[in-house]
Amino acid sequence: MVDELKGHMDLLETPEEGSQQMGQAEPQPAVRSGVSGGLNQRLRRIRWRGRRVEWAAYGFLAPFGLFFGVFTLAGIVFGLYLSFTEWGIMGSPEWVGLENYARALDDSWVPLVWLNTVKYTLMVVPVSTVLGLLLAVFVNQRLPGYVAARVCFYAPRVVAVTVVSLVWVWLLDTRFGLVNIFLSTFGIPKIPWLTTQRWVLFGVGLTSVWWISGYNMVILLAGLQGIPEELRESATIDGATAPQVFWHIVLPLLRPSLSLVVTLGLIMGFRVFGQVYVMTAGGPAGASSTVIWYIFDQGFREYRLGYAAALSILLFLTIFAVTLIQQRFLRERAT
Amino acid sequence: MKLGYFKRFLSFLRRKRVTPGRVLMWVIFMTLAATWVLPFMWMVSTSFKPSGQVMTREVQFIPREWTLANYERVFERAMVGRWLLNSVVVTVSVTAGNVILGATAGYALARLHFPGRDVVWFIILGSLMIPAEMIMIPRFVALLSLGMTDTYPGLILPSVASVFAVYIFRQFFLELPRDLEDAALVDGANRLQIFWRVGLPLAREAIVATSVLNFTGNWNMFVWPLLITFDEKMKTLPVGMATFAPAALGRTQIESFAPAMAAMTILGIPTLLVFLFLQRYFMQGITTTGLKG
Repeated sequence: MVDELKGHMDLLETPEEGSQQMGQAEPQPAVRSGVSGGLNQRLRRIRWRGRRVEWAAYGFLAPFGLFFGVFTLAGIVFGLYLSFTEWGIMGSPEWVGLENYARALDDSWVPLVWLNTVKYTLMVVPVSTVLGLLLAVFVNQRLPGYVAARVCFYAPRVVAVTVVSLVWVWLLDTRFGLVNIFLSTFGIPKIPWLTTQRWVLFGVGLTSVWWISGYNMVILLAGLQGIPEELRESATIDGATAPQVFWHIVLPLLRPSLSLVVTLGLIMGFRVFGQVYVMTAGGPAGASSTVIWYIFDQGFREYRLGYAAALSILLFLTIFAVTLIQQRFLRERAT
Repeated sequence: MKLGYFKRFLSFLRRKRVTPGRVLMWVIFMTLAATWVLPFMWMVSTSFKPSGQVMTREVQFIPREWTLANYERVFERAMVGRWLLNSVVVTVSVTAGNVILGATAGYALARLHFPGRDVVWFIILGSLMIPAEMIMIPRFVALLSLGMTDTYPGLILPSVASVFAVYIFRQFFLELPRDLEDAALVDGANRLQIFWRVGLPLAREAIVATSVLNFTGNWNMFVWPLLITFDEKMKTLPVGMATFAPAALGRTQIESFAPAMAAMTILGIPTLLVFLFLQRYFMQGITTTGLKG
């Protein structure tokens, strides 16, 4: 077992390993009497990568490992199994093979909810990324009041999805909502944000942009602060204008942070649920039904748990594929 | 005091090359920042208005008449007290679990030398790829068959292991010098004693950061408590308060948003206050986990 792992480990060698080996003062094992002395001695002699194995580590990992193993790892395996069964809470799961997946292909709701989710994501991710970038660039100037501005932009992120959603139901109210009242001062007629098929995704999307842009801002801000000031200064001395510096120096160096923001945004976008649950209940006429909403509906209202599990696996595969494509895209653009 | 600010402002003007363009940008962004918190202002303002003054096209941020009637209605109609209790019990237990399990596992992964360390870390990180919703159905099924719906353990246990907490503690211990611990080792202390007496006291920063961040996340948990509770009495605050949404009531119109906004104020204020006073931990937490990974 130990040797087997060692083979894999060498590939994953971490850089701090060397310094640890140097600095480590090997404590002399105190001579102990007792029945377990023999075993203790033998355990102490076991080495891995040239150093004594610290068996206590497994004890330290055990509590986390127990919960993580039961609720996450076993959960994944059990979910996979459930997706091949039919189960309606009562009785025991019945093995049906790929039937759930076949049903998903036939289900006319599946393309609808997937399309709605993609539309929502394609709307929220670009807007909140660009907005987050603008906010980060502004806050990074450290003009007076920038700390207060940072607090304001991030604040929506710390409240429950219930608060975010319900406050925006009120703001987006067709007749008395603040948004429409504001727009009407420019002569824009009332927009039925949440009650028509045409507008409902925009209404939910607007809410999400308000919710997550501040989070993007903080990630991008950390990225901006990691860019050495000298680089910008030397470019400015060479005669580059501020937009040129931003476009040719800052933006390429910011690519890792941008990639992170987009990845997290895509994952969050595909997982949208709370907003839909509180704001629209999937309506009107399914126009704001998203994937998780449909999984929730099938699993916990219709009690088709096997089918819901299969849909979850399909959602995971979608997120996985989209993340891979996005990372490939951003990396290729980098070279 | 005021003069000090004025002097600082003047020296600022000299240092920063104040141009009309920069002033304009500043005005635009500060207006945007103010707009950003406007929804919260509107929420609080609406919650104190008498019902008659809510559904109107007149915009008044300071209510003409103040009333607590909406809060009274919230406490009458909903089991807010009970939900609050549930939320406190669940949030405190889950956060405590997050910190304890995160500190021990993070310590082992950062400090101790054992076969399988990198594989374990790889698996833990890899699990971040799996959306929580993919596991929610198997978790639900498992806890249902164990009869743990509508119980505190059912609400608490699935969220106790937090990968985020492990991440923060591992990162923290990696950056912490080992000298003190090595000295204790030479003195013959065992690992648990070293962790308890040397490592953990030094990790106070990480403990606070994890507690603060996970507290807000756990307080706001929505999907899992929604699934695992059927009994009104066992709902947590975010799930229970969602019943004030018109969509939850099966209609799109609502007679007045005033009680709903009172409910949202009760639900939103605790995390907003935590954030306001401890905001640097939020920024730090995101920076460590977001970029060093």
